[in-house]
Amino acid sequence: MAAVWYLIIGNPLLNVLIALSHTLGGSFGLAIIVLTIIIRLISWPLTKRQLNSTKALQEMQPKIQELQKKYGKNQQKLQQEMMKLYKEAGVNPLGCIWPMLIQFPIWIALYQAIMRALATTPENLLDLAQRLYSWDVVSLEIPLNSHFLGLNLGQTGASQSAGLFLAILVGGTMWVQQKMTQAPSVDPRQESTSRMMLLMMPLMFGFLTLMFPSGLALYWAVSNIVGIITQYFVTGGWGYLKSRSPSRSAPAKGK
Amino acid sequence: MATTLYLDYRMKRPKSLFVVVIALLPLVLVSCSIFGGATVSGGWGGTAFSDGIIYAGTRGGRVVAINSSTQSRQWDYAITPTTAIYTTPIVDGDLVYVGTYSGQVYALTIGQGVERWVYPRTGSIGAIVARPVVANGTIYISSSDGRVYALNTTYGDLKWESEPLAGKLWTSPVIIGDTLYVSTFDGYIYALSTETGELLDWSFASEAGFASSPVIYGDAIYVGSFDRHLYAIEIGNNVTMWKFPQEKQAGNWFWASPIVNEGIVYAGCLDGKLYAIEAKTGEELWEFDTGGPIVSSPLFADNLLIVANEAGNVYVINPNTGGGERIRNSENDSRPTINAQIKASLCAQEGLVYIRAEDNQLYVVDIDKRAVSWNVSLTVEK
Repeated sequence: MAAVWYLIIGNPLLNVLIALSHTLGGSFGLAIIVLTIIIRLISWPLTKRQLNSTKALQEMQPKIQELQKKYGKNQQKLQQEMMKLYKEAGVNPLGCIWPMLIQFPIWIALYQAIMRALATTPENLLDLAQRLYSWDVVSLEIPLNSHFLGLNLGQTGASQSAGLFLAILVGGTMWVQQKMTQAPSVDPRQESTSRMMLLMMPLMFGFLTLMFPSGLALYWAVSNIVGIITQYFVTGGWGYLKSRSPSRSAPAKGK
Repeated sequence: MATTLYLDYRMKRPKSLFVVVIALLPLVLVSCSIFGGATVSGGWGGTAFSDGIIYAGTRGGRVVAINSSTQSRQWDYAITPTTAIYTTPIVDGDLVYVGTYSGQVYALTIGQGVERWVYPRTGSIGAIVARPVVANGTIYISSSDGRVYALNTTYGDLKWESEPLAGKLWTSPVIIGDTLYVSTFDGYIYALSTETGELLDWSFASEAGFASSPVIYGDAIYVGSFDRHLYAIEIGNNVTMWKFPQEKQAGNWFWASPIVNEGIVYAGCLDGKLYAIEAKTGEELWEFDTGGPIVSSPLFADNLLIVANEAGNVYVINPNTGGGERIRNSENDSRPTINAQIKASLCAQEGLVYIRAEDNQLYVVDIDKRAVSWNVSLTVEK
């Protein structure tokens, strides 16, 4: 299983990344950025499907909120009615999750490629030898230059001063991307859940940026920025980025 | 994201969502660590033999001395905090020297393994991966901070440290007279003064990085490269004498340092082959396929070439003809000579080859009998 993974995904991605680095004048950071954009282009059909599902769900929000108001006290009925609504609109809420899950192996493959390419330990360097193709552009690029814009891409964000900036960039761009698609809810409980999700994911990835090699965090940051741009053009604008939550904008009820 | 919209609907309580998000964190961490990360196994320090005692660094960060007559441990020294040891110990006078991955050099007495000195006394230099070299009362160390350090062997005092020569130095220096030569991963060979550490006039630049430590024979430096060639470079000249193979590439890098004997270069390659090459011309005399990557340098014992591959097979090769014989596993002939990987440097003495394998055992191979004579565990029972 592992051999098949490396044969089909892991090793080709690794060699393409190194060859790209050579083509781009020996800048491994630039190679990660270009490869991220290429990966986003390849996965464009999936992304488009995800964005369309998001858009459809956004457009259904007024109806969903109506149902929440109507059946708020009867969760079972609410669930039935919402499923009915999704069915009528031809939207599968789970359809939004699959494209995200498919990206997970790509993360893993890219993480492997970055770590193996940088070969920060003797074991990694020895292992790298068995994974490289006999292309000249690959041979001439070893060892890679791990420095990019003040970052050492092979080291964790926590171990370098520029890592904090990268963590803020990853967390910030993730927050913007999520906020663009997160519709406000009239249900205070759901609104609270949304707000927590909106904060938790950027915080988690900000934390991961500090824990993982900066090369991977660079991928996350670029991926988020590309995501924001595509979302802007596909969904038509900044979405819910500037909208305020109804629970905040609504007048407070006295006790 | 759309997922959030869906989860908004599905999640009854914000607490549940919190649990999901927190659960994702270890999932990502575990996945990345399983599927590949920065791995340090414990090192592959080789063996050194002196006065009937075998010295080796263990995977548990210890330096051990094994009495070859009694096949028992004479002493062991635990380096704290625990670190990997990639360097082969060097014995000089009454001290044995070991460099650690945590960036320190230890000098221990050969009799009882008592620490004589450690450099630096506080803190560390970059990780030490390559075997240090001792010459004229000085120990020369390549470090992962890209510098070469020269220390007094008696007291461990710093004589000099070079300017950074590369991003990291994982190759051993070579000393000829009062000049130190070192190859770098980014494709340079530098010549330094052994007295001051200053760069001398001559250096060599190659398009491809150098993977192996250099070896000097006559006026030439022989070194393996990341472009799958072995290079012969004339000292003082900026022209490559030859590169091997001449027209095509080898199957992989020449990672192990080559050895030269009577005008012939013997180079082990990660493609599994041992090549015999005419030192002057670069012409191939013969090749022997071991079937597995060769990580450690070959050596001569009883006028025979001994080479081990990563898979654990040990071969005895006639250096004149290139004809070889695999040393068989006494328990199961279908298995490799040793039931563990071999990455560490070997050493030989009086017909016996001493191998520290990746199962943290010391194996002793008898060349005459073509068999593993005995083995001893280097793991310390706690």
